[in-house]
Parts: sequence; structure tokens; C-alpha cells
Amino acid sequence: MGLDYKLVLWNKHKKTYDKIIALGMLLYLVVFVALTLALNPETTAETMIIRAFGSLAILMLHIILVIGPLSRLNPQFLPILYNRRHLGVSMFLAALVHGAFSIIQFHTLGDVNPIYAIITSNMDYGSLTNFPFQVLGFLALLILFYMASTSHDFFLKNLSPKIWKGLHMMVYLAYGLILMHVFLGAFQQETSPFTIGIIIVGFITVTSLHLITAFKESKIDKFNSEKNSEGWLEVCEVDEIPNDRAKIFTVGNERVAIFKYEGKLSAIHNVCKHQGGPLGEGKIVDGCVTCPWHGYQYLPHNGQSPPPFTEKVATYELRLNGKKVYINPNGFEEGTEVQPVTC
Amino acid sequence: MEKKDEFYIGYMNHLGEGTKRTTKRFVLFAIGILLLGAISFGFFQKEAVNSTFDFNAPTKISGTYQEAPYPMLRVKLGEGTFKNVLLLGFGKFGANSYLDDIKQKEGNLNGKHLTIEGNLIYYNGKTLLEIDDSQKISLTNSKVKDYVLPEVMGKQKLTGEIVDPKCYFGVMKPGYGKIHRSCAALCISGGIPPVLVTSDNNTLSEYFLLTDLKGNPIHKDILPYIGQPSLLRGEVEKMGDWYTMRIDVSQIEKLDKKSSIY
Repeated sequence: MGLDYKLVLWNKHKKTYDKIIALGMLLYLVVFVALTLALNPETTAETMIIRAFGSLAILMLHIILVIGPLSRLNPQFLPILYNRRHLGVSMFLAALVHGAFSIIQFHTLGDVNPIYAIITSNMDYGSLTNFPFQVLGFLALLILFYMASTSHDFFLKNLSPKIWKGLHMMVYLAYGLILMHVFLGAFQQETSPFTIGIIIVGFITVTSLHLITAFKESKIDKFNSEKNSEGWLEVCEVDEIPNDRAKIFTVGNERVAIFKYEGKLSAIHNVCKHQGGPLGEGKIVDGCVTCPWHGYQYLPHNGQSPPPFTEKVATYELRLNGKKVYINPNGFEEGTEVQPVTC
Repeated sequence: MEKKDEFYIGYMNHLGEGTKRTTKRFVLFAIGILLLGAISFGFFQKEAVNSTFDFNAPTKISGTYQEAPYPMLRVKLGEGTFKNVLLLGFGKFGANSYLDDIKQKEGNLNGKHLTIEGNLIYYNGKTLLEIDDSQKISLTNSKVKDYVLPEVMGKQKLTGEIVDPKCYFGVMKPGYGKIHRSCAALCISGGIPPVLVTSDNNTLSEYFLLTDLKGNPIHKDILPYIGQPSLLRGEVEKMGDWYTMRIDVSQIEKLDKKSSIY
């Protein structure tokens, strides 16, 4: 957890994962280069490098972008999510090779500064088909650089999880810029329906998975219950919550997770302090609510991470009337102890 | 029920069976996508042409220097056979700055015999020479020789794409079109002559060096028209084995169609 960064960074799985990333990237480059040399022997080494690393980076970005929604839809994808940062940094390195070689090849050794040249050597900003696509790729590379360089718990802690996560959501902006970079650039000249088709299928897959996940979550947010005379909300029947698991409800404007464990019920705020993970999709492990994203833990009755950790989330008061579970929508201060309800 | 209760914690080494299976499937799927991508992106590339840039094999050539409209060397290949080699500078620059030293020393070089060591660029019958050092230019005969005067060919209306000849004839592949447009603009801005590569069936040539209406070099004014299918009108002249075309840049018509110069 948050006190020792190394704890989260390296273990047996991460090393295996990194080896698979390296192997996958190497496999891609070897196959691409071998095919290019065999079928297109007159091409230049620079063009081959630019194309190999650019196409590798965009495919990796698609793989990265499906991990999030897949993990929300099926927790069995969580090991992939847990190790996603290394995949992101590797993708950035591939994009960096593509960008650096492109800038050297197309924009250096001229009569103006290469960065200035990226922006000014094609001024058709008013045209769609002639739009200077390099600018889009350059902006995306800057975003990816920012994300890769802050892809460590040190920055997460210092920037605050909310800001860090918010800034890292810029990957979607980078994705949009990259798609436009490719469609307004390479695909204007390399017009094979197969290569264009791969990216279109990738876009549809990424978008669909995000929409399905959003639809699933919107059902939680649409939860609506009448307050009783004391202002408590009826949320569900006790049997609807599995043992050592939770159900998530939107109470007021906040998502709250109601956990059932050891014959008791406790409610805490659903958002993990680490990266905003959905605690209600986690599990009670060793008596603690354990976040599905990175394993951060909180005691269910007070929302506090067990010592020596210091993270705290808000807690909520529950009542049981027969089988019906009621919640007081007014949460307590983060880390406030609340007596669990026996069920 | 057992499957539902599986729960992965990143810092623990334990993986549930279902989680392990799903993870393996995802890894295999991702590698499959990469493989499919590598095959598709590798296989479906437009084939590059056999243009050549001898960047690591310098060549010494000698011939009669011709300054206008763009620096060239008229090299004798055999009895009565000559080739006009277009001179270029290093990177995205023209040859003029490399010729300044020797011009200061020897005065007007027009019609004089020079020997230049540089790197050849050649494709489809055209040859160009990149000069990377002014010290590699020497005057081998200061006597002015006869050189070919431009031969007027009349007015022409040609369609094609304006490229920088350095990249087009060998340095980059592809050295034309949308992807290469910014690079071509920098090259032409840096002094490399603009060349029209035609896509029509004119009977003269595929390549035309472009000048202004007075026959002077054009660089900055033509930048907005580079790398796009266009229609040009102008007076054509023949200079050795190169054709030149005098154009009014403002009269260039951009054509709304795909590039077809290769």
C-alpha cells in the first residue's frame, strides 16, 4: 500500500507480465520487419521503423483501453488491470520511437526549429483532408509522455489521487488525437481496407466496452428510493448481498457500498482513496474491505485502513427492519466508527 | 459460487483458477491481435520504388556548371551524350550556400568546369547530387565552355503534384503526398527546387523544374501548393535533359482528387 512504493511495483506476476509485454512487442516488430523486407525491399530503414513502432503503439493503446471496462464487467480481468501501467509505459516508448524518428526524418535539418516546423510546415488548419496531422500526433505524444513520466505511486501520492486520476483520463484525449493523426495522415496514403479496418474494429470495440460499462454503472446511479419519515432510505433485502461482498447504491450523489461479513452489515463510501477504485466491487479479506484495483484495504466498521496505513473513507449508518436494509443518506466524517448491524 | 468468490489481489501471489484462465486467454488474445496487426500492417503497404540515395558512398562527378534557374552540373556521359545533374545541399537545403565559397574565390562559375564530390540520388533517369561540404567543390577548368541554352517548348497545361526532388528521387520513401508534405515544404523553403511530377499523358516529360514567370527560382511562394494534386499552366523550356516550367504561382489550381503520381 501507500507507505512503500516498491511493495506495489514488483512481484512475481509483474515480472512475468513485463516479460510477456517485451515478448509481444518483439514478436510484432520481428514479424512486421520480416514482412516489410520480404515484400517491400526498396523501403528505407527510417520508414520501416516509423511504421513498425507507430502501428505497434496504436495496437497496444487499444489493448490498454479495453482492460478497464473488461475488469469492471468481469473481475477475472483484474490481474491485467493491476499491471496495466507497465503496458502503458511500454506503449509510450513505442510511440516515442515513432515520434522521434518522424521528427528527425521530416522536421530536422531544415531552416527552422523542428518543433516549430511541426506546427508551421503545413498551414492548412482549415481543411480536413489536408489538415497537418503531425500536430495531432505530437500533442498525443506530449500527453503520453506526461502520463508515462507520472506513472508511479510517488506522483499519485503527491498530486493527490483525484488529480492524478483526472489527469490520466487524458489518455482518451490522446486516443482521439492519435485516431485523427492516423486517419488524416497515414490512411490518406496507405489506403488498404485491412489496415484501416483493424483500427475501425478497434475503435468500435473500445467504444462499445466503455458504453456497456457505463450502462451497467448508470443502473446503479438510477437507483431511487423513497425516504421514510426519518429520512432513511430503503436500499435492498439483506439476502441480496452475498457474504464477504457488497452491493453498491447511489445515495444522494455518492456511491455507497454495503458489505455483508461475519453476520454483520457495514456501509462505507464506494471510492478508494488510492485511485478511485470501486470498493463495492471488492471483497472482505482478512476482515478488511479490499479494493479490487490495487488491494488497498479498509476496516468495514470505521472506513480506516488498518495501521500503519492512514487512508480513510466515509462511513454510513445502517438499520435492519426484518429483511429490509435501510441507510442514512447522511454519511459520517471519513474514518468514523459505526456499529455494524447484525443480520 | 467458487468462481464468483475468486478475488485477485495484486500483491499476493495467489491466482484463482478462473482468474488464471481468463488472464491467459486475454494474453493469448492480445498477442494474437499484435500478430494479426503485424501481418496486416506489414503485408498491406504500398510498395516503395527503386529510387536510390547513396548516402554512404560518395561519388566525384565533373561537368559544366549551370547556375540558372537552379544549380546543375552538365556531365558528359559519352560522345554527344550528357546528363544534367541537379545540385542540392545537405539536409533540407539547396546547393547555393555550398557554392558561395568557390564563387567568392573564382567569380562567376557559369559555364566553367567543376568537380564535386557528393552523394548521388537517382530514379527513373534523373540524377541529383547532395553536397555536404563546400570544400568538396573544385574548379577543374576555368575556361568557359559552351553550354546548352534553353529550348522553348511552348505553353503547357499539366496536372501532377509538386514535390521536393531530393526526397522524391531517393532520400525518402514515400517522398510525396500528404505524409511527406511538411518535409517537402521545409526542403523547398530551404532552397531545394520545386519539381512538378506529372500524372497526365503529356508527351514531354514526367518531371518539370518550376520557376516564376521570369525564370527565377521560386521557394516560399509555392509552399501552400506542395504535396497535393494540382493543375499548372506555363511556358515550358528544355534545358539538357530537364524541363522547366515558368508559372504564376497564384494560378495553380488544387485538384480535389487522390495523388496518382506513383
